[in-house]
Amino acid sequence: MAGAPARWDVEADVVSIGSGLGGFSAAIVAHDLGAACVVLEKAGKLGGLSGFGGGEVFVPANKPMLALGLEDTKEAGRQYYEFIGAGFQRQPHQDKLLATMHEAVEYYATRAGVRWKACQGLPDYYYPRAPGSKPSGRYMSVELFDAKTLGEWQHKTWLTPIMPPGALHEEMYAWGGLAKVTTWDYELLGKRIAEDLRSFGPGMMGYFVKAAVIDRRIPAYVETPVRELLSDASGRVIGVRAERAGKDFFVRARKGVILAVGGYDHNKAMARMFEQMPDWNGVFPAYLDGDHMVMGPELGAAIASVPPTNLALFYGYQIPGEEVEGRPFWRSSWEGGVPHAIWVNKQGERFCDESFYKEYQPQIRHWDGKKQEMPNTDIHLIFDGNYRERYPLGSFMPGQELPEGMVVVANTPRELAQRLEIDADRFERTLARFNANAEKGEDPDFERGSWPWAIRLVGDMDYKNPLLGPLDKPPYHAVRLRPVSVGINSHGLEWNLDAQVMHVRGRPIEGFYAVGNSAALLDIGGGYQSGTSNSRAITWGYVAGRHAAARKS
Amino acid sequence: MRRRGRAEPGGARSEPQASEGDRLPEAEHSTTARLPVTMIWSYVREMDNWAPFLRGYQSHEKQSDTDSIWVLKGDVGMMTRTVKFHVHIDEWAEPSRVRFTLKGLNEPMQGGGEFRLEPYEDAGAAPAPAQPGWFARVVRWLYRLFAGKTERAAGAGAGPGAGMSRLSFRLRVTPGGPMGPMVDALMKPLMLPVAEELADRIMADLEKRHAQQT
Repeated sequence: MAGAPARWDVEADVVSIGSGLGGFSAAIVAHDLGAACVVLEKAGKLGGLSGFGGGEVFVPANKPMLALGLEDTKEAGRQYYEFIGAGFQRQPHQDKLLATMHEAVEYYATRAGVRWKACQGLPDYYYPRAPGSKPSGRYMSVELFDAKTLGEWQHKTWLTPIMPPGALHEEMYAWGGLAKVTTWDYELLGKRIAEDLRSFGPGMMGYFVKAAVIDRRIPAYVETPVRELLSDASGRVIGVRAERAGKDFFVRARKGVILAVGGYDHNKAMARMFEQMPDWNGVFPAYLDGDHMVMGPELGAAIASVPPTNLALFYGYQIPGEEVEGRPFWRSSWEGGVPHAIWVNKQGERFCDESFYKEYQPQIRHWDGKKQEMPNTDIHLIFDGNYRERYPLGSFMPGQELPEGMVVVANTPRELAQRLEIDADRFERTLARFNANAEKGEDPDFERGSWPWAIRLVGDMDYKNPLLGPLDKPPYHAVRLRPVSVGINSHGLEWNLDAQVMHVRGRPIEGFYAVGNSAALLDIGGGYQSGTSNSRAITWGYVAGRHAAARKS
Repeated sequence: MRRRGRAEPGGARSEPQASEGDRLPEAEHSTTARLPVTMIWSYVREMDNWAPFLRGYQSHEKQSDTDSIWVLKGDVGMMTRTVKFHVHIDEWAEPSRVRFTLKGLNEPMQGGGEFRLEPYEDAGAAPAPAQPGWFARVVRWLYRLFAGKTERAAGAGAGPGAGMSRLSFRLRVTPGGPMGPMVDALMKPLMLPVAEELADRIMADLEKRHAQQT
């Protein structure tokens, strides 16, 4: 454990490590309470994982949805969160999350200028089956953000390749959803791109970056990875040793350090140890490499966990030649859920509802005890000529030539199975059964088409069942899929109701806070719902910033 | 609509030629050097000389005197994509012009452009590049620093005079398909740097070779 250096390079009251939603939420509120704040970011851009993502903030009974006349109550929200937790949440943590999130999002609306809006038409994952679930409005997003207001930071903030730039949720749905991309209004999107009007994660983080570094002049240092937390003899955290331009850069934190660096997707050893998977790939940039799981335990921080079984693991693929930040880009795949497509495993069999990741995710981890193998970690997306005529694959439009080396193509299902080296007889039986039922708009095996959330995102409403269509037109195609993570990990630092990191001895470590995905998902528990990652980042960032600002120097 | 070209430090002139809202990302960049036109022509005529100077260059393959296949990595928003182009030379007009058209082989894109070469000796015939202000010089320096561009030799890019030549490079790429307008908006900001880099690097390499010879 290192103590104070001979000289601090920068002195502040509150230091946020990480420039995502958690780090900036904490810095903004702490600044407003009179604390001098600094934000340190390892990447060359601000915004963190939050700026690279969908920018949804899941808040039941939120103000914008109620203003639209959409029905909801906080009690219904509590029931839904309880369902998500499945008994693995720590109830005091979840209770405080739910009791504070409305105050937090309202604070950033009124004090930081964040223009929230309710995403109309997007149901909760588990609607209508889960108690308290609702069909529309609980996901908050933001109005278009004019990035030109960011000044010098305009080109040093994250954009995202995982969402269509400049589009709004309700527009995507009105244009036909992800499957019907040929009918989208690309003229409108082109104009918004030219004007740098941002939506989704980049839009949301645009508001927060502007509120912090432009309006409040909170210093933000990019390309400044923090290497070590510094503490005094009592164990209280007093600052950090970062690295800037290859040299040590000491930043004093008189009141507190907020650790908000996301998860560990790109730390292979950690992912293997904590997620217990043979293969782990990250959709997000490589900065999510587990700094919190090193710097925290160095000071005696406890690690906590929730079951990894059903958080946010998907299947994905890489398109040859496609890179983000100089690395091959893993695309999360939704294509298996649209008509004329299925997934098959090594046995040539379907094993899940391909359209609903909350159902298929536990199947990824299925262990065949008799064969001592995990048959669903290395699977294939299968689609036919009907699919190629109608739907995209990644950013490749219907009919557009697909890159060499990405797709296996054959004229018959048997030939395709043989090329994939999967059981051809089983594959033919799988296809025959799926096709016969798909013709009727049914999927008796996995009930594909029964979840409104999936239909909203990828359904084709021209079909009797918007998620089902037979694979009966050659050529037949296969794309290899592997598990991909979006940074929602099962392990993180243990924390208390003030967002303070807990010591392995059971006491809070003074001056040390963890928020966002660096903090174990104790408040969420055994499941996940899109937007809860952001709602907990903003809520606990708000809590941590207030608590740290109120501490004595 | 054509914007006015803006003067660049180092005697270069860049002319983004598409106004906002246009569907054709197009850019033109001119630069000068105290080199004979014939020398520049010989250099440009052989694409192996300058191909690696094209931003995102991966490989090229000459199929004939007029046709070649190029593989480039290009930025589209946040993402880098590998694009394969077929390039056809429409006109070899020695020693003053090469005109070409291009077509995407794995992406719906088409376009074209040209190299133009001319003596740059008569001040009355061609205006000297304006002297940039201090801010433009700082921005230019920072851009070169971070983009890793080759600094031209001292005295390069001077105004018109004896033995001076001017090289202009114009490039136009039009994305097609339903996403065309969106891809167009994502690509547009990159066109001018691509044109600048290529023309400047060609001249820098020529000046280096010329200096070694003399």
